[in-house]
Amino acid sequence: MEFEFLVDNTLHKICLEKKENIFIVSDGEKTYEADIRFISPNIISILIEGRSYRVYFARDREKRFLSLEGQQFTVQEPLEGGEGLQKDEVRSREDELMVKAPMPGKVIKIDVSEKEEVRKNQTLAVVEAMKMENEIKSTIDGYVKKIFVSAGDLVDSEKPLIELEIKE
Amino acid sequence: MLKKILIANRGEIAVRIIKACQEMGIRSVAVYSEADRESLHVQLADEAVCIGPAPAIESYLDMDRIIKTARNAGADAIHPGYGFLAENAEFARRCEKEKIVFIGPNSKALALVGDKVRSRQTMEKAGVPIIPGMKGIAKDFAEYESEAKKIGYPVMIKASAGGGGKGMRVVHDPKELKSSLEAGMREAMSAFGEESVYLEKFIEEPRHVEFQALADNHGNIVHLFERECSIQRRHQKIVEETPSQALNPELRARMGKTAKKVIQVSGYNNAGTVEFLLDKDKNFYFLEVNARLQVEHPVTEMTTGTDLVHQQILIASGEKLPFKQEEILQRGHSIECRIYAEDPDQDFLPSSGKVLFLKEPAGPGVRHDSGIYSGCDVPIYYDPILAKVIVWAENREMACLRMINALDDYVVLGIKTTIHFLKEVISHPQFKAGKTTTSFIKMYFDEGEGKKKTDENLKLALIASAFDSLGKTHVRRSAEATEKEVFSPWLTLGKWRLGGRK
Repeated sequence: MEFEFLVDNTLHKICLEKKENIFIVSDGEKTYEADIRFISPNIISILIEGRSYRVYFARDREKRFLSLEGQQFTVQEPLEGGEGLQKDEVRSREDELMVKAPMPGKVIKIDVSEKEEVRKNQTLAVVEAMKMENEIKSTIDGYVKKIFVSAGDLVDSEKPLIELEIKE
Repeated sequence: MLKKILIANRGEIAVRIIKACQEMGIRSVAVYSEADRESLHVQLADEAVCIGPAPAIESYLDMDRIIKTARNAGADAIHPGYGFLAENAEFARRCEKEKIVFIGPNSKALALVGDKVRSRQTMEKAGVPIIPGMKGIAKDFAEYESEAKKIGYPVMIKASAGGGGKGMRVVHDPKELKSSLEAGMREAMSAFGEESVYLEKFIEEPRHVEFQALADNHGNIVHLFERECSIQRRHQKIVEETPSQALNPELRARMGKTAKKVIQVSGYNNAGTVEFLLDKDKNFYFLEVNARLQVEHPVTEMTTGTDLVHQQILIASGEKLPFKQEEILQRGHSIECRIYAEDPDQDFLPSSGKVLFLKEPAGPGVRHDSGIYSGCDVPIYYDPILAKVIVWAENREMACLRMINALDDYVVLGIKTTIHFLKEVISHPQFKAGKTTTSFIKMYFDEGEGKKKTDENLKLALIASAFDSLGKTHVRRSAEATEKEVFSPWLTLGKWRLGGRK
């Protein structure tokens, strides 16, 4: 069975088939056998060609969190609709114009007003989280189309703050 | 001897102090904000009182509320930990007035060393070397501008009331001075409740070396050697160690003597840290006194065999220091890594949320001071420090190896942490060579250096994810098990509670 996963926003494929007590893995380069099992709810043990790997695992709704040798991976299933990548490209252009909160926090101030002209890397707003201030900068030369928040607002990650408009 | 202590803090340091109280047979009172009802310190303390809404200014910084809580609980002392009210002289004064022992310096000394401008003047007069900078706070922007010009760029903006990197900014270009001053003042206001800042010369590529001191109420002062805290990011320490690779016995003795002089001149008592900058030519400059228990205090405890929180409580109880300077020896090497809830792949953005799974590092010479547990929430309101990993070994090389193993052995799932980034720092050849300066991270870890993930590990992560998807029924069963595991008291409370409490 083929699986598609988004790992840190990149799409990856892997094929896994169950065969009696083991699994057949095809990773695009090679096909091999693997003994895979849950040792505890948060540990998956994998044996491949005599080598032993321990994967720490947790799940929160659609997100899986994995840790191997201290490296962390956030794994998600791609969004519905198949042609994920092309859509992503369109979305990323829209994303560039929609300035979003990079993390949950509190809007400290908005440095621009609607219709104002802005330069690339100009500070648009300041969001504070965990006592550190983070300057939100413009990704383009353009205009401020719309401002969705004001100083003092608590915002979630990915919450739209400011919409920009490309300079024609 | 003190009988009941209110801990005016949260997170790992509150836990550390509560444990010290338990060891000494002292009752502990935790205070918490509405966001911290389920925090570890609330679970561990003998008593716990809610002191207000989530924002620190309405809870952990509310002096009236905390003093009232201490009085109502019958606490005879308050331990402020670090941050929040730890270096607030007004708070220390209020405690003194209410006849509640403030576990820290007397309010007069605290006011002096807490006012970095006045303490610099005092130290300059006493012949302690200092960095060129402003003699006072400017009355307007024009004065800051002319002072900056006089000192010479680059200049450093520093909060008069605080430390820990909050409110601090380096300004290279005069055009950036105004916006940086504003940002620095806002940060100072939100972190310390006071917005005054001053400027000083920014010394490039220095080492940050500090000396731990203890002073009892009877005029006895000792130092417990240095800690090197040069590995910093955004002026926030992330790795600390002792002994420093930059000191020889002669320089160590000279700096220790100067540190004791600083403590003495300030009329300081209890535990304090004298910070120095050490330049390339081994000149040292007095920076400031950190009038509190430091985040990095464990490395001193590991190498001197002293429990600094116990000593703080004993000193506050009026006891004399149990040792003389010549009886304090450094043994072996200790390193601390601070584990922050930050995402190294996204320019260290704070990462709040639920810790879905935690596996703490353990083993010979490994210590874990922590404020988190499997299932806990990390709120957006406070400092992103989650925990500290501290190792001790016979020598520095072994301490580095032990730290690398400990970080490998440490798993936090659900939020982003700096664990893997720290492993790369400790493994860096320049760190191993002891070439640590405050620009270390900028020089060797700029531009998402922490991003490299091996293809092999990625593949294994994919296999594990596919396996999880494939075994739907198994998954549902294990998800239920996860749920149960996460909220199991055996997992969250730790084994020390099993025996019950007196």
